[in-house]
Amino acid sequence: MSILPIRCLILACGNTLRGDDGVGPWLALWAHERFQSDPRVQVIARQQWAPELADDISRARAVIFVDVSIASAPGCVELVPVSPSNDDRGPGAHHLGAPELLALAHGLYGSALQSASLLTVGAGSIEMGERFSAAVDSALPEACRLLEQTVLRLLCES
Amino acid sequence: MSQEITIGAQSQTGPDGKSQTIVIDPVTRLEGHGKITIRLDYNGEVQDAHFHVTQVRGFERFAEGRPFYEMPSLMARICGICPVSHLIASARACEAVMSVRIPHAAALLRRMLNLAQMIQSHALSFFYLSSPDLLLGMDSDPATRHIFGVAAARPELGRAGIGLRRFGQHIIELLGKKRIHPGWVVPGGVTEPLTVARRDEILAMIPEAYANITLALDGYKQVADTFREEIAVFANFPSHFMSLINEDESIEFTVGALRLIDEQGGIVEDGILASRFTEVIGEAVEPYSYTKFAYYKPLGYPEGTYRVGPLARLNIARSMGTTLADRELVEFKQLARGPVHGSFHYHHARLIEILYGIERIEHLLNDPLILDKHVRATAGVNRLEGSGQAEAPRGTLNHHYKVDENGLITWANLVIATGQNNTAMNKGVLQTARHYVKDGRFTEGILNRVEAVVRAFDPCLSCSSHAVGQMPLALTLLSPDGEVVDRLVR
Repeated sequence: MSILPIRCLILACGNTLRGDDGVGPWLALWAHERFQSDPRVQVIARQQWAPELADDISRARAVIFVDVSIASAPGCVELVPVSPSNDDRGPGAHHLGAPELLALAHGLYGSALQSASLLTVGAGSIEMGERFSAAVDSALPEACRLLEQTVLRLLCES
Repeated sequence: MSQEITIGAQSQTGPDGKSQTIVIDPVTRLEGHGKITIRLDYNGEVQDAHFHVTQVRGFERFAEGRPFYEMPSLMARICGICPVSHLIASARACEAVMSVRIPHAAALLRRMLNLAQMIQSHALSFFYLSSPDLLLGMDSDPATRHIFGVAAARPELGRAGIGLRRFGQHIIELLGKKRIHPGWVVPGGVTEPLTVARRDEILAMIPEAYANITLALDGYKQVADTFREEIAVFANFPSHFMSLINEDESIEFTVGALRLIDEQGGIVEDGILASRFTEVIGEAVEPYSYTKFAYYKPLGYPEGTYRVGPLARLNIARSMGTTLADRELVEFKQLARGPVHGSFHYHHARLIEILYGIERIEHLLNDPLILDKHVRATAGVNRLEGSGQAEAPRGTLNHHYKVDENGLITWANLVIATGQNNTAMNKGVLQTARHYVKDGRFTEGILNRVEAVVRAFDPCLSCSSHAVGQMPLALTLLSPDGEVVDRLVR
């Protein structure tokens, strides 16, 4: 539990046993290795985003959420800004989406992030298994490039 | 007949045009899938009510054929909230098979791990699941009656909840390497000793944890009196209670033996070791639920209903064994002459247990023996049957295994806290529905109260059915002829 200000928090989500759903944790591991020598970058991967992550967000200046998308075309890599919202809070408050986590971080901790974005990779298959679909496999270089570029830009801005 | 339909509710009128069935499906803010059905008579009065657990998993069955030493990590997968309790009960059952005693340091470390889990689970139950009802009101707007509403109304309590949950989770992560499903507890002890650096890291978190639980206890006491009506009817009836207890009659979570008390607090059974559990406790089956209904055998089913969990533990324990929690226990016991029967007080008991957990963890960390390097005993199969028990956050947990000469599991049975509270929860749903649903009329606030009585027990439905699926539970209003008249689905 670091109390140092984090310039860029990478917050990934996914289940590595559900095919392409594991792309978030995979990218988190990649980012951890890429930026492990830089204390300004923190990487957290979870199976679900739970309310307590609001505390981590409140300690960061920028956050990049990383997740699979079942709405996008398979292998499609996208980066979109995220705004706080509590419209879709989940049935039991056990897990939250990126907008809800931002809202909670703001409501509880007065978080004033300079930047929040969501990087997604379109899923080909989220059936049981530890392998990615061909579409996600071939999208990994682009996802890594976009994630790296975004982190470096945020570090320069802050 | 007029009918007030709530958000997510479905209403159907019976074939006679009068009778009704209310269905809440799913019941929300619970650990698992469930449903509540309320049947009304022709006059619109509550005739019967059931809490259904609608998921099934079958962990006992697919454990068959696996080596016994795999059981702790396999059984921990039953639950993402209380895997540590399963780890410990399972490891203890395996140690009965091995006929070994674990090293002292391993016992201390397991105790700390179990308390850390209790703290994070109780924090989830109280702050994430029940505090919207308690802080915003049972009749508050459901559109804001959730954790965001709490964050807006009482941000300091929201932060305290998150802080306590992180406190418990971080200890689990430091000890077991993972916040969920740590594999650190193994038959014979634990895999690694505690380092000085990790001990000091945990000790550094203690002051904030004390501040958070103090805030929560004060906040709860400020609002508890406003729920007098709910306290009177939320599963408030005499029953037996059961929990682990130490020889000095202080509260226990990880070792010790079980004590069963009656509705006046008299000791009915004492010193129940895991190996004797099935002599005392039986399990009944009802057609409307995948969760079994545990009962005290000498009284039979359903007369042998008893409750487990925080309320039972505080009713049974003569002391907490720590300064601050003992002070709170004295106050708690003043709620009734004899055992506290109102299940609403589970919330209060939960907070006192969090306080106890923090104090006990601090004591454990200040014991130099906790740093001992000898943390694991080894042995093979020395008995063909073994049982283990522990207190999970929501109550007593018993694992019972049989193995062949090669140590492969031939039979397994798990008796889970939610199954032991099952009859009491059903009685509580009926009691609450009868009090609030009149003339076939109900409001969203009334249905929320019916759900809230179940929430007070903090049942874990995934554990109890050993289940695939997500969290929510659902309410059904049935006609006397069994027709579904109304259904609440969120």
